[in-house]
Amino acid sequence: MTKKLEAEELKDLENMAYQIRRLSLEMICYGQWGHPGGSFSMAEILAVLYFHTMNIKPDKIAWESRDRLILSKAHGSPALYAALALRGYFPIEKLYTYCELDGILEGHTDMKRTPGLESSGGPLGMGLSVAAGICLGLRMKEEPRARVFCIMGDGEVNEGNIWEAAMAAAHYHLDNLIAILDYNKVMAKGMVNQLMGIEPLADKWSAFGWEVIEVDGHDIEELVNALYQARWIKPHGAPIVIIAHTVKGKGIETAEFNYKWHTQAPDPQTTDAMLRELSRRYKKPEEGYSRICEPVRKETFYGGE
Amino acid sequence: MAENKLAEKIEMREAFGNAMVEVGRQFPQVVVLDADLNTSSKIVYFKKAFPDRFFQVGIAEQNLFGIAAGLALTGFIPFPSTFAVFASRRALDQVAISICYPKLNVKIPGSYVGLPTSRAGASHNCIEDIAIMRVLPNMRVADPGDNQDLRAIIHTAILTDGPVYFRITRLTVDDIFDADHQFEWGKGRLLKRGYDVTLFGTGMMTSLCLRAADLLAQDGIDAEVIHLASIKPIDRELISDSVARTGCAVTAENASVVGGFGCAVLEVLAETVPVPLLRIGVQDCWVDSGGIDELFTYHKMQPVDIAAAARQVVGMKRPFQISRSG
Repeated sequence: MTKKLEAEELKDLENMAYQIRRLSLEMICYGQWGHPGGSFSMAEILAVLYFHTMNIKPDKIAWESRDRLILSKAHGSPALYAALALRGYFPIEKLYTYCELDGILEGHTDMKRTPGLESSGGPLGMGLSVAAGICLGLRMKEEPRARVFCIMGDGEVNEGNIWEAAMAAAHYHLDNLIAILDYNKVMAKGMVNQLMGIEPLADKWSAFGWEVIEVDGHDIEELVNALYQARWIKPHGAPIVIIAHTVKGKGIETAEFNYKWHTQAPDPQTTDAMLRELSRRYKKPEEGYSRICEPVRKETFYGGE
Repeated sequence: MAENKLAEKIEMREAFGNAMVEVGRQFPQVVVLDADLNTSSKIVYFKKAFPDRFFQVGIAEQNLFGIAAGLALTGFIPFPSTFAVFASRRALDQVAISICYPKLNVKIPGSYVGLPTSRAGASHNCIEDIAIMRVLPNMRVADPGDNQDLRAIIHTAILTDGPVYFRITRLTVDDIFDADHQFEWGKGRLLKRGYDVTLFGTGMMTSLCLRAADLLAQDGIDAEVIHLASIKPIDRELISDSVARTGCAVTAENASVVGGFGCAVLEVLAETVPVPLLRIGVQDCWVDSGGIDELFTYHKMQPVDIAAAARQVVGMKRPFQISRSG
């Protein structure tokens, strides 16, 4: 049983992934700090979650039966902020308060500050436990429809806390938990398989009692279908992990699979070129940095790693 | 509380287990998580009374606090229960970022604090938790003076918005308070009025301060005794007012003197009424295995040691302060 998308829906979701990339990059350039690589690799994942899969009401943030998203790899915050703004949790202009003292968007996620965030994070390895706790709470509150999605990084599964949570989620039969592993193959300072290998990854999750689905994390139809399976077909007492094979920095050639763009803020000129490259890749009218940022551009650039 | 009328003396951890059952009845949103220590911490009483609201997470403290954060996010009031050493050291990052940063409603009981853990040795004799928990923004910290104080702290903690850390010793401690005792954040208790020196106690050390005051009275030194269960926030007014009269102070804590309760009092006095002050507690060393009484003697934390510190600090008072204290 699969979930088919209308051509129009597919086009919309592709456009959202494109917008998430653009806005992330503009935010990082404007804030002069941030993580483009891990933001770009999960652009399609966030587009599908926020514009197709998740049952949410941006005008009623605390709706009890809503689906929740926990971003365990909280350094991917620019992409999440872009998705939240596009979905209507706050005005797009607020994206340019990213990393500002009086802004609403922290470098790493702060749920007290940003409408639509479900948790605070930063240190890796913590999100899956929080997600599991929410799943337990939802079960006690008898909210059978709500799902908790948790996006993890690949290097993040080096953390012991992830496997503590994995063990507990299976023990408590949390089939309302859907983890998505953004397997972009690159960590902060090099390739995953060179720094600390995590393979055989699917076998590890299976051995921990999880239902495993593997997809191309940039293929929107595959993602839609996997998330449909995870919500409606797979749940039978085991938590579900979708291993999404992705490309770190996807969308900008120099950043792809390049750890140097894990934490790196490009200067405005580079950003402009990158945004133009993105438009060409997605067959959109060519647009550069000036579109939204020009009025708020800062005088000095002190960015970088 | 009916059970307490017949009050034979029980260990503080027993009182903890009993109080948790009491609040479990009263507050349906209270849930408990345990990392395989429930019969030691005595949270097992809650497990027996409310099996559906008790979650075993196994020996996984990072996960213990992460899951607690998730439960708090769905409106429950979780008590993730483990030994104080693991709460403060093993899972500090989770406590800090998953719980304190978003100010989640998680109440953390730190069991087996300080010297009375005794024979388990340095890894388990928790002396650093006050300092560690105190430094976290949004966290409130309390160390109860007796079983009634503990019970009152748990009640207040449940009615307080945000994270709370409170300490529980395994020992049977002297009774100080009555059954109608109430606990309020940032409020200390004047237990004995005096004019020569103030003894500030927290946790089980307050009852040792009271005994020290009796010893000092035999020498004609009139010691004031103040109990500060609320370490953060701390009662700045009571501390500075008392010391403005007595002119010197001794602090006593069942923990390291580095960064802990004594330092919290010192911070207040440095900013208000700077006076000579000596700190009783573990002097920046590990607490190795030993008998309980033996350890209190070795670390100079007995009533005689508090009294000796008081005599010494009275001698350090500046002349104008001595004249004021008469």
